[in-house]
Amino acid sequence: MIFGTASKNERPVRLSESTRQFAYESLHGKYGDEAVSHGAVTLDDVEDFDMLDDYGKYDIAVRRIAEQAPLRITESERVCGAATLGLAIRHVVPATRNGNAVYGSMSHLTCGFDRAVNEGIDEYEKRIDLRLSDTENLDQRQIRFLQSLRNTVASMRIWHKRYLDATKDSRPDLYENLKVVPFSKPRNFHQAVQSLWFCFAFTRLCGNWPGLGRIDEYLGEYLKRDLRDGKITTDEAREILASMFIKGCEWIESDTAPGSGDAQHYQNIVLGGLGPDGIDITNEVTYLVLDIVEELPIGDFPITVRLSKNSPEKLYRRVCEVQRHGGGVVAVYNEELILKAMTDAGYRYSEALRFANDGCWEVQVPGKTYFTYIPFDSLSILQRRVLKKDGKDIEYESFDSLYACFKDELGKTVFDLCSGVQNAWVKDGKWLPKFPMSVVALFEDGCIENARDYGEGGPVYNVVSPHIGGAPDVGNSLYVIDKLCFKEKRLTLKELYQALSDNWQGYEALRQYVTNKLTYYGNDCDESDSYTVRVIDDFAEITHSYHSDEINFVPGVSTFGRQIEWAPVREAVPFGFKKGDILSGNLSPTPGTDAAGATAIIKSYCKSNLVRQTTGAALDIKLFPSSVEGENGLEAMIALIKGFIALGGFFMQTDVVDAETLRAAQENPKEYKTLSVRVSGWNARFVTLNKEWQQMIIERTEQGI
Amino acid sequence: MEKLLVTAIQRFSTHDGPGVRTTVFLKGCPLNCFWCHNPETKDLKNEVLFTPADCIGCMACASVCPSGAHEFENETHILRRDLCMSCMSCVSVCPSSACEAAAAEMTVDEILREVIKDKVFFGDNGGITLSGGEPLIRKEAVELLKAAKDMGLNTTVETCGQVPREILIDALKYTDFFYWDIKDTDSARHKLNTGAGNEKIISNLILADSMGALTAVRCIMVKGVNTDDKNIRGIAKILSDLKNCKAVEFMPYHAFGGSKATLLGLEDNGDKSLIPSDEEMALVKARLAELLKLYGVSNISVL
Repeated sequence: MIFGTASKNERPVRLSESTRQFAYESLHGKYGDEAVSHGAVTLDDVEDFDMLDDYGKYDIAVRRIAEQAPLRITESERVCGAATLGLAIRHVVPATRNGNAVYGSMSHLTCGFDRAVNEGIDEYEKRIDLRLSDTENLDQRQIRFLQSLRNTVASMRIWHKRYLDATKDSRPDLYENLKVVPFSKPRNFHQAVQSLWFCFAFTRLCGNWPGLGRIDEYLGEYLKRDLRDGKITTDEAREILASMFIKGCEWIESDTAPGSGDAQHYQNIVLGGLGPDGIDITNEVTYLVLDIVEELPIGDFPITVRLSKNSPEKLYRRVCEVQRHGGGVVAVYNEELILKAMTDAGYRYSEALRFANDGCWEVQVPGKTYFTYIPFDSLSILQRRVLKKDGKDIEYESFDSLYACFKDELGKTVFDLCSGVQNAWVKDGKWLPKFPMSVVALFEDGCIENARDYGEGGPVYNVVSPHIGGAPDVGNSLYVIDKLCFKEKRLTLKELYQALSDNWQGYEALRQYVTNKLTYYGNDCDESDSYTVRVIDDFAEITHSYHSDEINFVPGVSTFGRQIEWAPVREAVPFGFKKGDILSGNLSPTPGTDAAGATAIIKSYCKSNLVRQTTGAALDIKLFPSSVEGENGLEAMIALIKGFIALGGFFMQTDVVDAETLRAAQENPKEYKTLSVRVSGWNARFVTLNKEWQQMIIERTEQGI
Repeated sequence: MEKLLVTAIQRFSTHDGPGVRTTVFLKGCPLNCFWCHNPETKDLKNEVLFTPADCIGCMACASVCPSGAHEFENETHILRRDLCMSCMSCVSVCPSSACEAAAAEMTVDEILREVIKDKVFFGDNGGITLSGGEPLIRKEAVELLKAAKDMGLNTTVETCGQVPREILIDALKYTDFFYWDIKDTDSARHKLNTGAGNEKIISNLILADSMGALTAVRCIMVKGVNTDDKNIRGIAKILSDLKNCKAVEFMPYHAFGGSKATLLGLEDNGDKSLIPSDEEMALVKARLAELLKLYGVSNISVL
């Protein structure tokens, strides 16, 4: 069994043959196919279903799932419980009525599995009951919500009981652990992992896609104790953890329809960083997780490591050794900058210290945050509301007046987006009802105490983040306009408008000039970078100036893959690209405009005041194996990360891959089934991407050659 | 001080010395190896790199060319190298990348300003590498090394060794590490294939070594040209006399230089039949390691 790698070094083998076989089957779609073959439970026979209120319907759906979802206990698994209903892979609660899913599900959050593991679910039940006993201070919806939480725990017990019965005779190893967790506190590392997996699997079974947060932080102590007492070996611990990782691939199908890629269920993990006492928590679990993803090309748990100048040197090395195999499965956070970004935005330092992410890369306090983001295209603001208004070209006397108009329109856009959310969700200071989300609400601090659902103001923090997209394209456009039309007066705005509206037809010499003779964002050129920096920084200040009592509106930078869907509706741009061309992703340079390599990209990116982008700004760096081979290559990768941290970066994702490999995979998808590529916060198997996506990844400038 | 002709400043170089480095390629080389993979760095003067496929037919070049070297016939654009005076007028007006200068003229300060941009990534080991062409044929290159040292950078030079002794001795003061080519130990064959014998290269190496220069010797392996046992024995002999050599790197010939040669109006010199196989490379390395052991040399790693 060979797992692909982008490196000249083979992937190391540390796991047992049976665990590796289990991984191979899971990664090749055995369990995903099983799940798809029984997609959902039916609610068709529920009498008077339509007479029930939202929570009534939801609770029946969850109960049916718990009662009827097929059980799966595989021979090699060391932790038990499986999300076996295929409709969950479509991001809905897998319960249907007349063939349709009844409720949507949640992602973009990290549940408080740390608390669930440490306290046990019995304690949750007690807390719910206690809150329910205070009925005088609850309205009807709050009571229904708390009852729904109660029913959620009851359903979890049903599902748990079925696994107990199923393992009692055949798998005493699993049974003994399930007798304790997740309802009571785990007594050892194995039980802690089982508890985490069971809670996580239950939320997944019900269609949700949460992240797991800082698993080394909350599992590390259990392992440390067991190792000290001689109850477990490091190798055994690795097998147990690996089992959880492999089971987390249970939604990979063997024959996925091409789209934006599978292996993308936001089940992110954050490693390393400071603990509550301000001391680095990096421990044996941290390194075991890195061991596992070094050996097995698992892209389903994107990992981000919190690094600072004080992080252990060994952690830097291990991160880079794993990154070198490709797949982009490990990214890094600049911890110190993020702590400052969060405290600047109003979080207490003790809360900021806990940061993980939403399951993608937007930072949040896990287990107590409602989060969503609102993406928008800043390039279309420039094109439709500044350079043109109502379809007519607009003349400007100076660059300053043009930019003032852009900033004004940007401000209006951001305020409209924020107040749109505010008005849709909150009225007269009260949260409006959404649909039930009790399964994830159970794992979110604040929901029980406030007796409000996850989407109705229950969590301690409610965060909505406008995300600016296309900023480097706006910056590059503004740079050309200022330089050619105002500073050098090489051509008039009118001439430029004509070239753009003709999609550069008949203006090839000018197009060649702007393409070849000017240097754009991403080449560490202060002159051109300054335009993108200005856009990014102005956006941050605008967003911070929007005030709401209920919701924290904070800025971030992303496109994820939206630059593809935006391409056909954007116009030609002043820096030479035509209508329909795919432009910049996240805060990375526009493809093909970065010629100076990885260090220059990092420097350009770090020129923005990223500490103001509270939820984050992603940079994707692609390196090719030839530039990072050997001990020196490893040192160079470490130097890149250290430079990124020293310069004030936020989130960086390094992928090592060669274009030839990608082209080969495009032609022979069958042979490259497990080749995974990560683009910003998500991860996908390359062969499940459609042609456009694949092309974009291939065309990203091949830095380092 | 004269300006230097820089063909490229390559950031995040990871193959030209320890750590992250910025490699500065200088134009001009005293040798004329037929297998050269950087032909644009050979000539001492600047040249036009011409890519007909990128020409959009605007004829801006023809209108400024003082010698009529740009000819357009039947929509074909021809650069008459026999007429071109390398004045670079066409380069300054060409909107596309059809006419480009092989090198930019830069002062030592201008080069350093580019190099220092990556200081944050250099760490303790990284820094600047001078390459080419041959950097040590100009005293300005020594100025560059000195200025880089003054800024606390690690300095590395990739040299063919065929350099004036006084410049070399000067450069030794400011250079932390040398990659030193030994292209062939058979001097007659060296002359035939590179245009010069190897005596100066080897005596310079021994001199530099005796003055404490740290080196890695680089040996290009061109199949059927210098892969014979006699050459390997010759290399072993030279290495056994060196006190400060840390490594010897065998580098297989590759044919990529051919793509650049055509942009200079030269014949494609890429010849795949000259590429040694992985097995041949392994044999050569094993043989050298064996010989070094025989000579009692233990401080040189064979890469």
